[in-house]
Amino acid sequence: MLFEKISNYKWGNAMNDKLNKIIEKQQKQIEEPHKKEDDVVQLVGFIIGQEEYAVPILSIQEIIKPIEYTRVPSVPSYILGVFNLRGSVIPLLDLRTKFKMEPAKVTEDTRYIVMKGKDNTAGFVIDRLTEAIRIKSSKIGPPPETIHADKGMVYGIGMREDNILTILKVESLLKRDF
Amino acid sequence: MEDIQEILEDFLVEAFELIEQIDQNLVELENNPNDLELLNSIFRVAHTIKGSSSFLNFDVLTHLTHHMEDVLNKARRNELQLTPDVMDVVLESIDIMKALLHAIRDNGNDTSIGIDITDICTRLDAISNGENIPDSTAKEVTEKPRVIVQEEDSTDYSKMSDKDVEDEIERLLKVRKEEDKKRRENGGVTPVQQVSKIVIEKDEDEEEEDKPVERASASRKTESSGAATPPAKKDTASSMEQTIRVEVKRLDHLMNLIGELVLGKNRLLKIYDDVEERYEGEKFLEELNQVVSSISLVTTDLQIAVMKTRMLPIAKVFNKFPRMVRDLSRELGKSIELEISGEETELDKSIVEEIGDPLVHIIRNSCDHGVETADIRRAKGKSETGLIQLKAYNEGNNIVIEITDDGNGLDPDILRSKAIEKGMITEREADGMTDKEAFALIFRPALSTAKVVTNVSGRGVGMDVVKTNIEKLNGIIDVDSEVGQGTVIRLKIPLTLAIIQALLVGAQEEYYAIPLASVLETVRIPLDEIYTIEGKNVLRLRDEVLSLVRLSDIFGVKQVYEGGEHAYVVVIGLAEAKLGVVVDTLVGQEEIVIKSLGDYLQGIEGIAGATIRGDGRVTLIVDVAALMNLAKGISVDIRATSETAVKVKSVPSDYIVLAVDDSAMDRNIMKKSMEPIGVKVIEASNGQEALNMLKSSEYTIDAVLIDIEMPRMDGYTLASEIRKYSKYKNLPLIAVTSRTSKSDRLRGVESGMSEYITKPYSPEYLESVVRKNIKL
Repeated sequence: MLFEKISNYKWGNAMNDKLNKIIEKQQKQIEEPHKKEDDVVQLVGFIIGQEEYAVPILSIQEIIKPIEYTRVPSVPSYILGVFNLRGSVIPLLDLRTKFKMEPAKVTEDTRYIVMKGKDNTAGFVIDRLTEAIRIKSSKIGPPPETIHADKGMVYGIGMREDNILTILKVESLLKRDF
Repeated sequence: MEDIQEILEDFLVEAFELIEQIDQNLVELENNPNDLELLNSIFRVAHTIKGSSSFLNFDVLTHLTHHMEDVLNKARRNELQLTPDVMDVVLESIDIMKALLHAIRDNGNDTSIGIDITDICTRLDAISNGENIPDSTAKEVTEKPRVIVQEEDSTDYSKMSDKDVEDEIERLLKVRKEEDKKRRENGGVTPVQQVSKIVIEKDEDEEEEDKPVERASASRKTESSGAATPPAKKDTASSMEQTIRVEVKRLDHLMNLIGELVLGKNRLLKIYDDVEERYEGEKFLEELNQVVSSISLVTTDLQIAVMKTRMLPIAKVFNKFPRMVRDLSRELGKSIELEISGEETELDKSIVEEIGDPLVHIIRNSCDHGVETADIRRAKGKSETGLIQLKAYNEGNNIVIEITDDGNGLDPDILRSKAIEKGMITEREADGMTDKEAFALIFRPALSTAKVVTNVSGRGVGMDVVKTNIEKLNGIIDVDSEVGQGTVIRLKIPLTLAIIQALLVGAQEEYYAIPLASVLETVRIPLDEIYTIEGKNVLRLRDEVLSLVRLSDIFGVKQVYEGGEHAYVVVIGLAEAKLGVVVDTLVGQEEIVIKSLGDYLQGIEGIAGATIRGDGRVTLIVDVAALMNLAKGISVDIRATSETAVKVKSVPSDYIVLAVDDSAMDRNIMKKSMEPIGVKVIEASNGQEALNMLKSSEYTIDAVLIDIEMPRMDGYTLASEIRKYSKYKNLPLIAVTSRTSKSDRLRGVESGMSEYITKPYSPEYLESVVRKNIKL
């Protein structure tokens, strides 16, 4: 009896250790994908103003065409309001205003990207989508010192053959800062 | 470990249920000291708690209940008369018992909060021994060691392994059984046996035939006392067979689902209306109508049914008041009777939880300040016993709780002078105050009319609590009083918080939902009935003066529409306060489901949440309490703005003409032609752009020149869009186009153009048309 218990315990512990290691490993992969040399990160690219930005594909819940939204009073100007996404009320943010650019008119290409974080979901207005991007994490560098000050919204800079890509940090985009 | 936890939870649930009942019973008992049934049920509570707590090793609690049991036992056997003094001690011991139970719930043990029970035990002992009750400071030293020994005995379960716990339980069971046995042997009759004996004796006196039955039940009861299960448990179990305990979380989830269903229903109704319009007379409409109506009916029933599952009788709150009033009347040396009616009225659980505190404060106030002492009452020719009535009843979608006392009443003049004294209001304000408004002063913090601060009330805090809590529930407080006759305080509270009736109003282009519970009335008033007092707009409505504020000013909605000669005022009331909110349109009443705006937009001032309307749009729900606060900071003169908007234009350069054409050259020609008039010309390259300019109200545009063929939005569409705004009903729209056919002209008229100029035109002609239209 006793022996069995101990061995059981040990075995259980060993299992736990193993599991924990795997979980830790996975956690690390999620947290710092660019540390791994050959990992490929999948992103969705879009244009705001003149520049191309991107966010990890897994943090995107959906991309929709502009729909009507309701203005919400006494909030910063970059919060346009709230809209109805199949029964949920979701805030709509204008990335142009948030990035201190002139607001633009809605065009044929304008889209709302609905991003999902741990506690929050929000829609972001972008000028147009570009493409789904696969980029090696080794090609992603840390954001330059100068942008760092910008509330840490930039996750890194993706180097591509013909241009560079600003990868945004979804969690900080979704964080309320007013 | 988990088993113990489960047992502990069961114990707590049961114990709290029991003590809720016990207060009520004790106060009743004082009035009918010979009611054996009551005594027995009280005794059972003490006994049950004692049994379970000794099983769970809560020694302090066991010790206390044991002493209570002694006293109650004596009372049952008629060896002891329950005088008010005895009751005081018993009630006090019950309070301590409650405190211990709370401690167990919060800390998991009854020792850590350090409640000392030796004193109360001494007094209980004294009662049961028939001695005089010793002063509460007297201590009996001999009790102490016993408690300590037992405390040493208490074991820390958290450090035990499963096996140890099992052993411990077994050991405890054994100890308990032995205790029971010993007690029986000692001739100390176990309480339950006692119960049955009394029942038998009583029955023998009254109904001989029932004897065998009673005997049978008596033996059954004795049996159950032999087992570890306390007998009271069996009693409650049999009466509760018809109910199921459900986690509140599950009910909340159900409520959320119903909410979604109601939204769907609203949507369906809206779609049906649209379809009905489009396919009038079609056969399938009738069928659709049937389905839609039956779904809507079932949804409503379902909603009510689910709402009912969350309802609790308000008795749950009312039950604690007889005890409270009794204690207060003894403490204050007054004779007060409490009359409760309508305690079966049901309310949503969340509201029941919130309503307790305000009622406590109101009733305390009535006892302390309202009802006079017996001498004064006699001198006034009232009966010596003061009467407080607590009444609950349904009124539409609200529940009304009425607290009436026949005491001193509120004197509006004293209230006014007190408020002036404390600098809360100016003398001028006080003069303009109606009596009702003066009564409302009692809800201001720090105002108290009591001459002396007692430990019951008089600090000016209580009524502020009332106000805050009732506001939280979107309730309304109404105070009515007559000096010398008494006071009536009426609380009107919505039945439920999740799905509500709301009044939908329009503020310029935006719509808002105001909870109907807070809407007192809506009125349409001519603008010249609005007066200005100290920079604030007010309205005289019957005998009241209401502050007025525009909803669009509070929420910073852009002024797109010009207000007419009249204004719609929604009079909202919350707790004791009232406010007139000026809106641009009244849409109607609708059932809405409150949805949260999510974490990101949580806590925006003035907004309580959002709802999705039948057309799929999101409408924000106004937080009435916050709105009233926000309104204080707003001093936009409603009349001034509407006047200045009309006045400003005097010279030609004040006038603005919007030229809409996709060709820059054409726009230049238009500009050139109008130079002689001296008006300002702004440009837009397509219909959409022009419409946005008009909507933004950046410029007040006096005329629009419209080309017909344009990208994005053509001239016809633009014209009909512009005409949708009441503000632009009379704005001159001048079509400037190369389309010359009759049908084109006709379409122009249809879409709302006021003039039709064909290209090419002479600059002079355009100039004269524009001049004519803007009357220069």
